[in-house]
Amino acid sequence: MESSAVRADLQDPAALASLGHLEVVARWVVDGFLSGLHRSPRKGFSVEFADFRPYQPGDDLRYVDWKIAARSDRWVVKQYEEETNLRATLILDVSRSMDWRGAPAAERLTKRAYAEQLTAALALLLLRQRDAVGLVRFDDDVRTSVPPRARTTQWRRILGALAERSGGRASDVGAALAQAARLVTRRGMIILLSDLLVDVDAALPALRGLRAAGHDVTVLHVMDPAERSFTLAGEAQFADPETELAVPASGADVRAAYDRTVSTVIDEWRTALGAMGARYELVLTDQAYAVPLRRAFDARQRRP
Amino acid sequence: MSFLAPFFLLLAGAAAVPLLLHLLRRNVSARIDFPAARYLQRAEREHSRSLRLRNLLLMLLRVLLLIALALAAARPFVRGFGSGHGATAVAVVLDNSLSTTAVSGGQPVFEQLRAGARAVLLAATPADRLWLVTADGRLQAGTREMLLAELARVAPVEGAGDLPLAFARASAAVTAASLPSHVVAVATDGQRSAWNTERRSPDAVTVLAPSAGPPPNRAVASVEAQPSRWTPRGSMIARVASSDSTGYRVVIGERTAARGVAARDEAISLRLAPPERGWQAGRIELEPDDFPADDARHFAVWIGAPPSVSAETSAGSFIATAVATLGADGRVARGVGITIGSADAVAALPALLLPPADPVRLGAANRALARLGVPWRYGALDTSSTMAHGDRLEGVSISRRFRLVRQGSTSADTLAVAGGEPWIVAGPGYVLLGSQVDPVATNLPLRASFLPWLADALGQRLGAPAGDVGAPISATPSEMIAVPAGVDGLESEAGARRSISGDRITAPAERGVWFLLRAGRRVGAIVVEAPEAESDLARIPADRLAARLAVAGARGVTTPNALARSTFALGSSHPASTPLLLLAFLLLAAEAVAVRASRSTAA
Repeated sequence: MESSAVRADLQDPAALASLGHLEVVARWVVDGFLSGLHRSPRKGFSVEFADFRPYQPGDDLRYVDWKIAARSDRWVVKQYEEETNLRATLILDVSRSMDWRGAPAAERLTKRAYAEQLTAALALLLLRQRDAVGLVRFDDDVRTSVPPRARTTQWRRILGALAERSGGRASDVGAALAQAARLVTRRGMIILLSDLLVDVDAALPALRGLRAAGHDVTVLHVMDPAERSFTLAGEAQFADPETELAVPASGADVRAAYDRTVSTVIDEWRTALGAMGARYELVLTDQAYAVPLRRAFDARQRRP
Repeated sequence: MSFLAPFFLLLAGAAAVPLLLHLLRRNVSARIDFPAARYLQRAEREHSRSLRLRNLLLMLLRVLLLIALALAAARPFVRGFGSGHGATAVAVVLDNSLSTTAVSGGQPVFEQLRAGARAVLLAATPADRLWLVTADGRLQAGTREMLLAELARVAPVEGAGDLPLAFARASAAVTAASLPSHVVAVATDGQRSAWNTERRSPDAVTVLAPSAGPPPNRAVASVEAQPSRWTPRGSMIARVASSDSTGYRVVIGERTAARGVAARDEAISLRLAPPERGWQAGRIELEPDDFPADDARHFAVWIGAPPSVSAETSAGSFIATAVATLGADGRVARGVGITIGSADAVAALPALLLPPADPVRLGAANRALARLGVPWRYGALDTSSTMAHGDRLEGVSISRRFRLVRQGSTSADTLAVAGGEPWIVAGPGYVLLGSQVDPVATNLPLRASFLPWLADALGQRLGAPAGDVGAPISATPSEMIAVPAGVDGLESEAGARRSISGDRITAPAERGVWFLLRAGRRVGAIVVEAPEAESDLARIPADRLAARLAVAGARGVTTPNALARSTFALGSSHPASTPLLLLAFLLLAAEAVAVRASRSTAA
C-alpha cells in the first residue's frame, strides 16, 4: 500500500504547486487519490472486459484473475471498458475576489489557484471514469465555456481554458449557471467552485433552477482560512476589491463577531442549498485536495 | 496621595492613546484588501451593540492599565492605606511655657503634654524621622530613644517661650524631609495669648490640648516701684487680676513690708519708707492657687537717704522756695551734696545748672561748664515764645532761653525740647537748663508739675550714687537685653554671682531680681518676669487650634494616646506601587480575558 506521506492529494496545496505545473500536479493528485481508494472506481458500471493490469493495493479482490495467479504466480486484475453515462460541468468563479490569499504566497495559494488546481484534478478524475466533463469560467460575465466531452483530449482543452485570463471584477453567478444549464441539456452533474461572494438573490434562484432541471448540484465553497477565521490584525479600512466596500475596523475588536457572522453565513448557505437538494461543502485553501476530491467523488458515486 | 517620582505621572498621558484610537478609529487611513468585507460589515451591523460595549470595555481597561502603570512608576504613597503606618516625618512641638505649670486634674498640665509627646515618640518606627521642638526654642532631631531621653529632661520654662516660632521651625523641618508623610504634632495647653500666629503649616497637624477649661487664676498682673529710687520713701503700684478678693504680702529684701487684702481686679498702691538701703529686691505675693507661677511678681528699687541740696542765690527765689518745700516734706535735706545755681557760680558736680541772669556772665558760665566736664555750652539768646515738650513738662511755655550747644559726642539725655532744640539736658552728675527758673523766662515755676519734676531731678537724676545705671531693666526669661557699659556681673537675690561681658546678654532664665554689678558694687537691677499675658490662661479648644494651624489635615485630640494615633493616622502613607502593579496585572488579565472570551465565543 502506498504511504499517505507520498500521496499528492494529501499534501499541502501550496507546497504541491511549487513542485510542478497545473497539469502535472493534477495528475499526481488524481493518481494519489485513486491509489488511496479501497475499491475500484469502476465498480457498479456496465462493463466490457478491456485489459489486465498488475494488482495494486486497494484493488477489489473480486477482480483479481485467480487463474493467472495460479498459473504464473502473478497478481493481475481485470479492467473493464465502461460506458459514459454522466455529463459533468465544472463552474469556476474567476472574479477578482478569488485572486486573494490571507498569507504569503509561499504558504498559501490564492482561492483561484486552489480552485483551478481542484478543477483540473476533478476534471481528470471524471474523465478517467469516462464521464463527459465541461467547464464554465465566469466573473462578471461568462469568460470560458467548454462543453462537456468524454474525449481524451478534453482534459487538455480544460487545462487550456484554465490558463485563460479573466478581466472582470464581480461575480455574476446567475449568468454562469444559466450558461451551464444551456451546456448540459441532459441531466448531469454541476459542480460550482466559488468563494460565494456573490449576489445571493441571483445565485439561489439559478441553483434552484438547475435542481429543478434534474441536475445534481454540488457547491464547493472555497474560502481562505483568513476569511473563515479573522486573523488580520491592526486598525485599517478592510476593502472588498470587487465592490470597493470599505469597512473600518480593528482586527482584534471585530474578530469574534466576524467569526460568528461567517459561521452564520455558512449555515445559511448550507441550509438554503440543502433545502433545494444541492450539496454544500466548505473548502479551505490550506486543505489537502483529497478532502474536496472525496466530497465530489462521493457525489459522483451516488449518481446512477 | 504623594509621589516620590512625580515626573513619571507624565506617562499617564499615554492613556490618551487608546482613547484617541477609540475615538479616531473611523479615520484610519491604512487600507487592506479583504474580499470578505461584506461579512465584516454584517458582523459590525449585527453585533454593533456588543462590539461597542466590548470596545468601550477594552478601551477602559487599557486606559486604566496605562494610568495604573504611570501611577506605579511615580512611586505613590497613599494615606490611610494598609496596616500600621508608613515612613513619616514627625515633629513634636512640646509647649513648656510657664502656663503649662497650671495644675489640672491633680497634676501639672505639662505632665499631660509630655505624656502626649512620649506617646507619639513611642509609636514611631525606625523608618520615621523625628524632631522634638520646645517652646523655649530648642530643636533636636534624632532617634526615638534619643528624643525620649531628651523629653525626660525637658522642664517648664519661666517664661512664655515662643510657640509660633517653635511651630514654624517644626513645620519647616518636616516639610524639608524627603519622606512621603509629614505631620506636626503639637502638645500644648492651648493658651490663647500664646497662639497668636496666623501662619499655617502646609502639612498635617495634630494638636493635643486639655479638654478641661483653665483653673481659676489669681495673678499679680504687674508691679513697679515709683519712683525707681526711694529717698527713702516711695510707692509700690501693683495690679491684681482675680475673680475675687485675695490676700497679699509685700516683701522687700527678706522683710515683709506690708500685708493686705485686694479686692477683685484692684490696683494696689502702697507708700513705703523701708529702712533698707541700696538696691533691694521686692515682690508682692498672693495666696497660692492652681497656677502658682504668677502668684508672685518681683520689682527692684534703690532705697537711700534724701539727697542733700544747697540752692545758690543765683538759682532764684522759685528754686529756693521749692527746695524748702521739698525739704519740709523730707524729700531732700539741706547740705552740700547737690548744688543748684547759675553755671558760672557752681564749683562742683552734682549740680542743677541754670544760665546766668546777666548775659554778660555767659562766657564765664561756659568756661565753668567746661571745667566741670559738662559737654554742653550756652549759645545765643532766643527770646521767641515756644512750648516745651518732655516728661512732666508738656505745655510749659518759654519766652527766653539760651540755645544749648553740644560739645563733642558724649552721650546725654535730653529731658525736654523747645522749638525743636534741647532745652533741658542731663548727664552724669548734672542737669542743665536753657532758661532761668523765673516767670520772665518760662512759666515752669508756676506749674503744678514743677515741684515733682524738681524732686525727680534731684532724687533720681542727681541723688543717685556715682556710677548707678538708673531705673531697673525689665526682661522676660532668656530674653536678649542690653546692659549698661561697665557692668561686669550679675548677682541673684540669694547672693550668687556670675560674671558677664559684652553690651548684650541673655537675661537669666529664672524669674526674679538680678542685680547688676560693677566692680563688685550693685549699680542697677534686672527684673525678670513672665509677660503679663502668660497669666491669661484662656484656652483654644484643640480642634479649633488645629484648624488654625493647618491648611488641611488638622485634627485636635484631648488625650496623649489619641495624639499618637491621630498623628500616625494622618501621616500614615504607604507605598502603593505594588498594589498598583497588581492592579495593572489584573487589568491586563481582564483585557486578555475580554479579548479571548470573544474569540472563544466565535470559535
